[in-house]
Amino acid sequence: MFSLLEEAGFKRVKSAVVPHFSFRQQSTQDSAEAYGVKAVMMTASKPDGN
Amino acid sequence: MHNAADAQASLEAVLKDEIIRMYEEVADDPTAEFHFFHGRQAAELFGYDPDLLDRAPVGAVNSFAGVGNPHQRADLKPGETVLDLGSGAGLDSIIASWGVGSSGNVIGVDLNPNMCLKAQAHAASTGTTMECHEGRMEDVPLPEASVDVVISNGVINLSFRKRRVVEEMFRVLKPGGRISITDIVSGKQLTQSIVNDPKLWAS
Repeated sequence: MFSLLEEAGFKRVKSAVVPHFSFRQQSTQDSAEAYGVKAVMMTASKPDGN
Repeated sequence: MHNAADAQASLEAVLKDEIIRMYEEVADDPTAEFHFFHGRQAAELFGYDPDLLDRAPVGAVNSFAGVGNPHQRADLKPGETVLDLGSGAGLDSIIASWGVGSSGNVIGVDLNPNMCLKAQAHAASTGTTMECHEGRMEDVPLPEASVDVVISNGVINLSFRKRRVVEEMFRVLKPGGRISITDIVSGKQLTQSIVNDPKLWAS
């Protein structure tokens, strides 16, 4: 996602993990962790002049 | 090549139905158990201001199915135009409308026309207004350079064409505009069995 934003032309792309995000069921959470699944917050700007 | 495109189009159509079904279920039966946290419990977990949740319509709060809080870094200013991509039952749009004030404008886009109606009704019940357009985030039904801020909460991951979604966000933003989104990302390539299962993908 980070690279998609940069490739589209966004600047000042920033991301941070959303604290406290988890799945309700432990089995789903375990699968998610195995795939490196996490919730992130992302901000970015469209440059002036675009 | 043609077959691959056809297969993807077919899978997207099935996925659209599954997404509509699942999120209507969240909206219609907030007490049901899903494998993700939702409603006020989830919103408070992600740092939504309890006072704002108190002000918001109960139906919008109970239907909340986001994965974070895009308002924390949106830094909305009075008079701005905000696009809420995947606006659902409207909680994020309503909070955004309070941020931009009566001189601003909030536009929701949702796959499901029923959710658009619900979001607009929720907004109206708080004395604020929002536009809501049925549409896909891969083809946002707005002109280019028409919004100041794009917010989104847990929906971009549902798309098979994320690059296209990102390009659409870039297109509709005015120069100098910004995004504040929360979403699910995966550190590893998902297996084809997950990709091909609309129920898992829609989750």
